[in-house]
Formats: sequence, structure tokens, C-alpha cells
Amino acid sequence: MSAGTPSSSNTDHDQAAQQRRRYEELLREAESIKGVSLWQDAWRRLRRNRAAMISLGFLVLMSVSAVLTPLAPLQSPMASDLKNRQLKPPTLAAQTLTVGEQSLTDALQKFRAEINALKQEIASAEGEQKASLIKEVAERERRNHPYAALWHHPGFITSRLIDLRMMLFGNYSIPSICGSDGLGRDVLSRLFWGARVSLIVGIVGTAVSLLIGVSYGATAGYCGGWVDNAMMRFVDVLYSVPFIFVVIFLITILSQDDIKREYLEPYGIDQIMIFYVVIGAIYWLTMSRVVRGQVMSLKHEQFVDAARTTGAGGMRIIFRHLVPNVMGVVIVYLSLTIPAVMLFEAFLSFLGLGVSPPDVSWGLLINEGVQVITPIRTFWWLVLFPGLTLTLTLFALNFLGDGLRDALDPRMKNR
Amino acid sequence: MSPTIRKLFPYMVVFVVVGAMGWALSFGTLPKADFSFNNGTEPKTIDPAKATGSPEGRIINALFEGLLRDHPLDVPPDASGLTPMEPRPAMAESFTLSEDGRTYTFKIRPTARWSNGEAVTADDFVWSWRRFLHPATACIYAYQLYYLTNAEKYNTSVVEVGDVVEVELPDRPDEFQPFPRGTLLRGELREIIKPPKPEPIKDAKANAKALSKWKETWAYVVAVNQQQRVDEIQDIEPTVRVFCISPPKEPGKLAAPAKIEPCLHVLIDFDTVGVHATDKTTLVVQLNNRTPFFTNLVAFYPLHPVNRRCVEKYGTPNWTKAENLVNNGPFNMQFRRLRDRVRLVKNPEYWNAENVALEVIDALAVPMESTSLNMYLTGQLDWSTTAPSAIMPELSQRDDFVRAPMLTTYFYRVNVNRPPLDNPLVRKALNRAIDKSIICEKVTKGGQIPARSFVPPGLAGFKSGLAGDFNPEEARKLLAEAGYPGGRGLRKIQIVYNTNEGHKMIAEVIAQQWHEHLNVEVELRNLEWGVFLNTLHQVEYDVARSAWIADYPDPNTFLDMFVTDGGNNETGFANPKYDQLIADAASEPDAKKRMEILHDAEELLMDELPIIPIYFYVSVNMVSPRVKNFTANLQDVHPLHLLRIGKSK
Amino acid sequence: MAAFLLKRFLWMVLTLWIVFTVTFFLMRAVPGGPFDGEKQLSPAIKRNIEKRYHFDDPLAVQYLDNLRRAAMFDFGPSLKLEDYTVNEVIAEGFPISASLGIFAMVFALTLGTTAGIVSAIKRHSAYDVGFMILATVGVAVPNFVLASLAVVVFVFQVHLFPAAGWGTVRQLILPALCLGAPFAGYIARLTRTGMLEVMGLDYIRTAYAKGLSHRRVVLRHALKGAITPVISYLGPATAGILTGSLVLERIFAIPGMGSHFIEAATQRDYPLAMGVTLVYTFLLFFMNTLVDVSYALIDPRIKLG
Repeated sequence: MSAGTPSSSNTDHDQAAQQRRRYEELLREAESIKGVSLWQDAWRRLRRNRAAMISLGFLVLMSVSAVLTPLAPLQSPMASDLKNRQLKPPTLAAQTLTVGEQSLTDALQKFRAEINALKQEIASAEGEQKASLIKEVAERERRNHPYAALWHHPGFITSRLIDLRMMLFGNYSIPSICGSDGLGRDVLSRLFWGARVSLIVGIVGTAVSLLIGVSYGATAGYCGGWVDNAMMRFVDVLYSVPFIFVVIFLITILSQDDIKREYLEPYGIDQIMIFYVVIGAIYWLTMSRVVRGQVMSLKHEQFVDAARTTGAGGMRIIFRHLVPNVMGVVIVYLSLTIPAVMLFEAFLSFLGLGVSPPDVSWGLLINEGVQVITPIRTFWWLVLFPGLTLTLTLFALNFLGDGLRDALDPRMKNR
Repeated sequence: MSPTIRKLFPYMVVFVVVGAMGWALSFGTLPKADFSFNNGTEPKTIDPAKATGSPEGRIINALFEGLLRDHPLDVPPDASGLTPMEPRPAMAESFTLSEDGRTYTFKIRPTARWSNGEAVTADDFVWSWRRFLHPATACIYAYQLYYLTNAEKYNTSVVEVGDVVEVELPDRPDEFQPFPRGTLLRGELREIIKPPKPEPIKDAKANAKALSKWKETWAYVVAVNQQQRVDEIQDIEPTVRVFCISPPKEPGKLAAPAKIEPCLHVLIDFDTVGVHATDKTTLVVQLNNRTPFFTNLVAFYPLHPVNRRCVEKYGTPNWTKAENLVNNGPFNMQFRRLRDRVRLVKNPEYWNAENVALEVIDALAVPMESTSLNMYLTGQLDWSTTAPSAIMPELSQRDDFVRAPMLTTYFYRVNVNRPPLDNPLVRKALNRAIDKSIICEKVTKGGQIPARSFVPPGLAGFKSGLAGDFNPEEARKLLAEAGYPGGRGLRKIQIVYNTNEGHKMIAEVIAQQWHEHLNVEVELRNLEWGVFLNTLHQVEYDVARSAWIADYPDPNTFLDMFVTDGGNNETGFANPKYDQLIADAASEPDAKKRMEILHDAEELLMDELPIIPIYFYVSVNMVSPRVKNFTANLQDVHPLHLLRIGKSK
Repeated sequence: MAAFLLKRFLWMVLTLWIVFTVTFFLMRAVPGGPFDGEKQLSPAIKRNIEKRYHFDDPLAVQYLDNLRRAAMFDFGPSLKLEDYTVNEVIAEGFPISASLGIFAMVFALTLGTTAGIVSAIKRHSAYDVGFMILATVGVAVPNFVLASLAVVVFVFQVHLFPAAGWGTVRQLILPALCLGAPFAGYIARLTRTGMLEVMGLDYIRTAYAKGLSHRRVVLRHALKGAITPVISYLGPATAGILTGSLVLERIFAIPGMGSHFIEAATQRDYPLAMGVTLVYTFLLFFMNTLVDVSYALIDPRIKLG
């Protein structure tokens, strides 16, 4: 074929396009078959690994209970009782939810009656008075609500979950079977609420690291040459730059009032979200190395050449063809990153760069516990229960990671 | 890669590992000290002029000695376990005070020696205090000597036309060393030529910087008549010369009567500052006003003398090295291992060496409370200066637990510029809604005292002005009066604190109490130390936790913080009446009246409440029963040279 | 070899320079400064201190000045430990961290590889399960929890070790074990995986066919092939372990370098923070290079490039 008249080039073009479409279709088909079989195969193998399956079950259970914590008949994680319950060992003595002197149901009833009375007033009021009454109701809903004292101004969804909990269990709550802490708060419920923070840190932080690490590593690995060299030197540099400065810098920049008002608050991003993202932004380094190594060994494989012949661009090859193929390794590595991120959160909180009360995380709970290990008297329940939960979770993640590695190992295929 | 190398590789690895382990084991073991104690953190410096903290104080008081030294009175402890301290003659064998209370004459002890055998002279004190006050040394505690005539002017480089000034030429041998110094020229200041003042900048910090830069461009016209090179003073032909710290780039810009010469400092002549050596053993100190607590200051470690020859020979930071240090206290420094220990040995040259019982002392730096307790319990320490608060109730049952009130207040600063906290009624409501006794009883647990005033109790002759006590009913009333009935309409209030388990617990309790009693929504924010300090200095907070340790046993050390724009005010509090009271107290010669004025000032402070006092600290020490002569006192000072080791029990 | 090392060296110099630059500007962009304290300095004093340390110069001038001195290994005086220069701080702290690190590493390597080999050879046995659970515990239990518990057990229940401090071998053992535990767990798992892969390969079968003893095959042939992942893990791990650990240094009152990393940063001691950062960068680079050289020494197929 020679480059001739426009018309002939057009038909050429059409033909080429048709051909490409066909190739692409073939490719897509091939990919989809291969993809499904790989994952199915891996799942089949994973299911046979008992330790990994138990771990998976445990993790799923943990995540579900973290999400549904407000629904569980737990005590308040923040209402402290210094006079009667400070540092009490685990007990089975019954506990009910109370606000001040009265039980929570009574308080709720009283509060709702007040609000209803006000609402009736609104119905009969006019003009300015009405507006001010509406404001008053809104203000009271937020400020005087009995939940505010027990769950620190819960958000809408959490409040509804607590409503449901009140309907199901009333004032009943599980006794302090894990004891109470230095301010007389129930350790069990703090563990559950802490799970929310710790698991979110683990997941969001890891997800951010995944996003940055995979795209960065894959790009470096695919481009190779000086681009790769420069990109990897940059990673080397970031490995060495003291992370404290990086964290403080990012947090300060992102929590400046004007930036916060303009870019973050409209999207509902708060301090703790920033913190999660910052952790992810620190943990992507190793991920990018792992991905780069994998991509480098894959990029001369035939399926990449095939994609290239069909005219796929660099970006497309990287994200459509290469990245899915390194996911196996990445998933295994993820199961190692999550625990590391969770421990890192504990360390940052210890330095004052992490979560603030009344939010609580497992790392903070363990820190509190470790501080009271003394030969004179040990408040063992303050270390044991948070330590056990964190260790079990990390254990589960490790076993699951091992299982996934075995399951995704191509040499184990069809075995 | 040659095969031989490859073959040898495993052996090389083994060799390296064994070698490394051998090296790691080579750190010899130390002979045990007679007495070890935990000094808390690593001392930042052992230069008396530059140190500010109590770990530094313990070491410096062992190595150096001032004119006077705090000494426990020979009386049995009072009801709270305290033995009062008084400044007693140390390097000075005696002193006299003039009628008007403004001139002290110290007689230096003839047997006072430096550790290298030289005699300690009055000149050593003049030189040390000069170094302490010199702006180039930049001592944080320099204000401790502001009671001396002209000392403040000298320290802050303020000069006026007509003053005799000293001009230092930029010919120092080493720019980094405040000493030895360059050539000094003396003469009367005739005129100050100032370039146009820079436009004020909105940002206060930048403005202050611009102003101090501007000040450096002033040209000083001086009639020079004396020149000093090191110690050689010679009178010279009087000439009018012009000096400037940073001279303008183009010489024509400033209309000066002579060529503008660069210089390092233009200070008021040190001879006009109120400290003089009339002979080798007589030191005369002139004060601005009668200062009843001046003897306490003289016993305070920043005023301890340093050895001029040593400082000049080795310079900073080398003169404080164990092998170079020349000191005059009861102990010498044998060696110092960073963040591990300072080993002190008895100083045979010390004038009172026969009464120093301990031969070898280890001052360990163990920052963690529980580790310190562990080391104490296993006999590695004889004295632990801290204890974990969680087990305070258990510890306080023990005989070796020594607890005493202290001149330190834990308090919350309130930013009085930010609504709604600008309303004193809101601040009062917040104060009255805090149950301080439960914080002391259940959170700090060390026997701390709930605070209703800013100045801690125990200062002779002073009666504190009190803030309202815990009363939720009244608090709600006050808040309603301020226009926020039931807390409605009040925005969220943020408490900031630096990361620490204790601060966190207290903040959590206070947040809960405010919510419970006032319906105030509280947000807690822990900040990393550097960020916290910055937030405090910029006054960018609602409520911030703070603490203040008395510099000297007098209410003034607490109360003068809150004068308008005071360096440590940091709350935005500005009240002309308060400023006036503090100024009146400073110039009041009658001690009793002065205390009354200070009482009025505190009453005003507690009425306005730019700070909410929470509790007064107690010092907590665990001291092995074999240690004798350990007395509890308000300052938490325990002179090492008085301690003795006896048989336990 | 020489060319490889030279190239590495040049890369290292470049990396050090970039780390220096990034850290320099990052430190100064962070709020708070070295001369902030709970007691506020008067502006005049602050100005004098800043002048003394040349903090009033324009940032670019400071940068060039610091870079010039850093190039001659002079990081200047520490701003917060006023009796020391940064070089002295590092010279005192590093040997301590290093000797603790060496013990921890030797312990981790010995225990880790032994457990890994035994688990791999006796796969699915009680040994295997036991070792792997132990290894997971080592990885999963945060080492400050481990250390606190170890103190209660081995100091107060069984009087085996002193509570804390530095200077004798007995004081070294407990912290070294706690520091090494997670590394031991990791190494054990890496060794086991490596061994399992290698044991199925042809050259092992050949070795057995030659009639070599089981012991010889495992230790001389299989281990050589299985150890590569461990070595590549060792590089960064050693750099980390040699520069100390804040938490363990606090619990055991050890005057190592780890605390300086954190404290220099939180106190904004710029010169010290810079010094320890560059030492760490150097160590990391040095260890990674060592790893690459060892690869080539162990495996003849690998060429240094």
C-alpha cells in the first residue's frame, strides 16, 4: 500500500480502523476470559486455605461491626465517671445509659417533648418570632440533644443508627467486660469506636498509597530509561526526608483557614480526613517500588506488544494492560501496608500529629495502656484488650496476605 | 567478580559480623556511683547564663556556686512537709545592705577557689554578669538582673544622647563567640541620626522585625576618648566619630559629621551598670529600687560566676566540655555522655569540701516516668524526680515518696480578643463550671491543689486574690447574663494543648464539664510541641493549656506576665489599670504595701480572667531511704552537696 | 566493579544534595522555630540569637552557606543542645544505636533464618506452624507493647535483666531482643518462602542425585538461592535499625540516635535535624549498594551495572 490519493487513504484508514476494532475486540475477549479465570482460580485456592478464610471472616466481621457500632448496645465511649468507675477492672455489673441523673430514654422523651412544644409554638407563631423559634429549635436539636453528651454531636446517619439502637435495646448496654479507663469510660465501647478510626486510617491511607504508588511506579517502570531513573531517585529522596516535617507541613498547609474554607469544607473534608490522606501520601513509596519492579518485568511480554501494535497509547497500556496484571502482587503488599499504616497512626498520634479526642483509635488506646504498665500496679485490661484487638487484626491481615500470595501465584495455577 | 572474592565472601561476612559484635561489646562498664538520680531530660546546656530549666539547674548548682546559695533552715518540716529555704553566704562570706535598701556590698570568701586552684574574685562576678547581660550572649534570663541600675538599658541596647557609651568595633577574632571581644571605644553619645522610619506593616511580627532592622541603620555620633583592647585601657585624643551597625550602602545618604564606621554594638557603658569590684574581694551592687527578693536572685543559678580564662580560651560550645570546664561549685564534671548521664565527682578545691559527703554522683537523663520508676525500684536510681500519675495513690502510701507544694501553676489561657471569649462574663462562667477538685483528686492524683488564684500559696506576706469557685448554678447564670442562656448562641470553643497524656485527660474532663454544666460545645486539639508554641505566640487559639514556674519566690514573677503586650502575656489581655498596679508595685519601697498592691492586681486579674487557673503543682520525688538530708521545699531544689548516704532504715 | 561503585557514589552525592535541599526548605516552611519556647524571648534577644546563627540572612544565602559547610561535613552547633555541635551529637549517639542495632540484627538473622529453614524443610509440621505463628506475632505486636511487657516479666517477675540504662552487656540484651523481634519474624517468613521455592528447583535435585548429604544440600546450595529476598530486605532494614528507635530508646533509657530524629524535628533544631537526616540518607544508600554488591557475590549470574 502506498500513500496515494486522499480517497484511497480513507479506505485504508477505514480498513485499518476496522481491523483495529476487531483486534481490540479479540483482545478484550481474551483479556476478559483470562481475567475471570485468574480471579476465579485464585478465589478457589484461597477458599481452601483455612487460616486465610478465617482471617477474611474476622476482618469482614470487624469492618461490619465498626460500621454498625452505633447500633450495638454499647456504653457511651466518652461519658466519663471519675467518681465511681475510674480504672475499674472488667466486671459484669449491669450498666444503663444515663444523661446526668436520668436515663437516656427519659432524657430523650423530655427533650422531644420540649422540641414538640416549641414546634407547636412555631405553628401558631408569625413573622420574626417564627424565624427566631425555628432557629431556636435547630440550635436545641444540635446543642441540647441527649446524644450530644454521650456521642459527641453525632452526624445524621450515626444519630439515626443510635435511634435504631434505642428502639432495639432501650437503655440496656453491655457491662464493662473490658474494664474502664483512667477517666472512668468503658473500654469495650472505646475499642469499637476506635475501630472506626483505625480501620478507616488503614483503608483510606492504604487506598491513597495505592493510588499514588501504583500510578507512579507503573509509569516509571513502563517508561524506563532516564525517566525511570529520575522518578526512582525522587523516591529515594522522599525516603530520607524526615517524615515529621512532611506531615506537619502538609497538615499545616491543608488546615490553613483560607484553604480549608475554599477547597476543603465545601466537600465536607475535615481534619481527620486530611490526616488519613497525609498518611497515604507517606506510605506510597514502597508501593511504587514494588509496582515498578513488576511492570519492568512485564513490559516486554507479548500482550504489551500486542496492545502497542493496535496503537494503544502509553497511558492506556499502563492503566488498562499493565496495572491489572500487577494487582496480585499489589494486593499482597496491601495486606502488609494496612497494619503498618495503623501502627504509624498510633505513632503520629503519640507525637501529637494524629487524632484528637473525643476521637479515639486503637493506637491511642494502646498508648494509654502502655503508660500504666508498672511493677507496682498494672491495669492489665487497658493493655490486654486494645493490644489483643490490634494484634488479632494484624494477624488476620498477615494470614490473609499470605493466603492471597499463594492464591495469586501463577505457578500454583490450577493446582 | 573474581571467584576468589566470591569464595571468600561468606567468611568476610562472618568476620564483619564478629568484628561488629566485638566492637559493640567494647563499651566498657563504669564503676558504680555513690548516688544516682534521674535528672529528667538531658540538660540543654550547663552554661549558667544560658540555662533555663530545672534539670540544668540541678547540674549547675552542683558545678557552680553564686554569691549566696539556697539552704534549708535548720527547723523541722511544717505541716505540709516543707522546710523553708533561705539564701545563705556561699562565694560571699558576708554581705551588707545600705539604709535605702539599694546597695548590696558582698565580701568574697578568701578561701573561694576555682577548680583549677585560682582564687574567685569580685572581678569574676563583674565579668560573668557582664557576659550575662551583653546582648550578644542573648540570655533568656537576662531580665533577672534588670533590678541593677542601667542593666536593662545595657541588655536591650538602648542608648540616649548624653550617655557614656561603649562601641564595639567589628574586629572580633571569632564572630560566633560573644567573647573574647573586639576593640571597645568609649565616649559620650552626642547625637543619633535616624533614617526615615519604615512604614508600619500590618503583620505584628514583620513590623517588629522591620523596626529592629531600621534601628540597626541608626548612626551614632560619639565623642570617643578611651580605647580598650582586651584589658588594656588607654585614653586617647578625644575625636568625634560616627558608628553604625549596618551602615548604608551609599555613604552620602546619611548626613553625618564624619565618615560612618561599621560597628557591632553601641551600648551604654558597662561602668554605669550597677555592679563594680572595688577590690579583689568586694563586690558592690546598686539597684534601681529596694528589691526584697534580690538575695533569692543572687542565689539563682543564672547569676553564678563563670571562669573568664576558661570561656575565653575554649569558647562556646567547647568550654563546657568536661575536660575544659573550670568551675567553683562542690562538684566537678568527670564526664558527660549525651542523653545518658553527667558524672559528677567531689571538687577538692571547693571551700567547704570537708562537708561534702558524696564522692561520685550520676545524673541520668531518663525522660520516661515509668522507666524512671522501674530504675528506682530496681535500685539503679536513688532518687527519681518523677512518678507516673496513674499509680500516684499507691505510691503516696510509701515512706520513700516525698511530696511538697511547688510554686507552679497549671492554667488555661483564654484568647480575650476572640468573641465570645472577649466577654469577661463568659470567661467567668467557664471558670465556675470547672470542678477543679475532681481533676486534682482523680486525674492528676499527686496531691495537687485546686487553684482559685494564679499565684500559688506559700509566699510569705502575700494574700491571693481569688476567682470564683466551682458552682454550676452560678456559671449558668453568668452565661445567661452574657447573652447565652443555656449555652444557646455560643459557638464551638476549641481547647489546644501540646501532646501529653496528662494534658489530654485534663482537657477531656474540662470539655465534658463545660458541656454538662453550660451546654458549651468543645473541640479538643492536640498539637505537636513546635506548632503549639507557635499557636500560643501568635495568639491563634480559643483556650490553650499553659503552666508557669516561679523564677523567684515572689508574686511578681506570676503577675507581671499579663501587662499589656508583655512577652509572655499571649492572651491579648490589656488593662491599663492592671499595668499601673504592676508598675506601682515595682516602685513601692514598703514591702507590706507592695504586697497589697500585688494582691489588688491579682484580684483584678481573677476578675477579668484572661487565664483560668486549674491547679497548683506539687513536686513529686521518690528518694531511697538510705539518702539523708533530703528536704522538701517550695522551689523543689535539693542541693546535692548536702545529701549523705546513711544506712537504710 | 569500580565503575559501578563510582556511578553509585555520584548518584549518592546527587541524592544527598536533593535531600539536603528539600529538607532545608521544608523545615523552614513548617510553623514554629528553634528559638520559640514556653517562655517568650524578648524581640531584641531573639534578634541577637538569630543574628548569631545567621538566621536573619536571606534564605538563599543561608542555604548556600549551610550547603557549603555541609559539604565539608560541618553541620554547625546544635541549637537545642547548646554544649554540642551536631557532629558531636551524632558521634556520641550513632555508635550506641549501631551497637544495639548490630545485636538486634544478628539476633534477627540467626533466629529468622533458622526458623525459616526449619519451617520450610518440615513443612506443615508442628515446628512450621509454631514458628510461623511466632513470626507473625513478632510482626504483629507493636514493639513498644512487647518492650513494656518484657520489662514487667524479665525485670520484675524473673530478675534476669536490669530495668533500663546503658553501659553493660546485660543492659543491651532486652532492648536488642525487642528491637529485633519484628525483623526476626519478617526474615523467618522471607526465608521460608524462598526455601520452599528453591527446594523444588532442578539444581537441588541434581545436588541430591550427586549423593550430597541433606544438610549440605540445604545449607550450601538451597540457602544460597533462598537468601536473596532476605538480603534485599536487609538493606533498608539495617539502615533503619542502625539509626535507632525512639520508642525503645525511651522505654529502656538508651542514649541512641533514634530520639534525635524525632526530637530535633519537634524542637526545630534545624542543624541537628539536617545532620541526622543526611546520615540516614547516607546509610540507606550505603546499605542498598552493599546489597547490590552481595547479590553479585552470591549469584554469579548477576552483573553489576
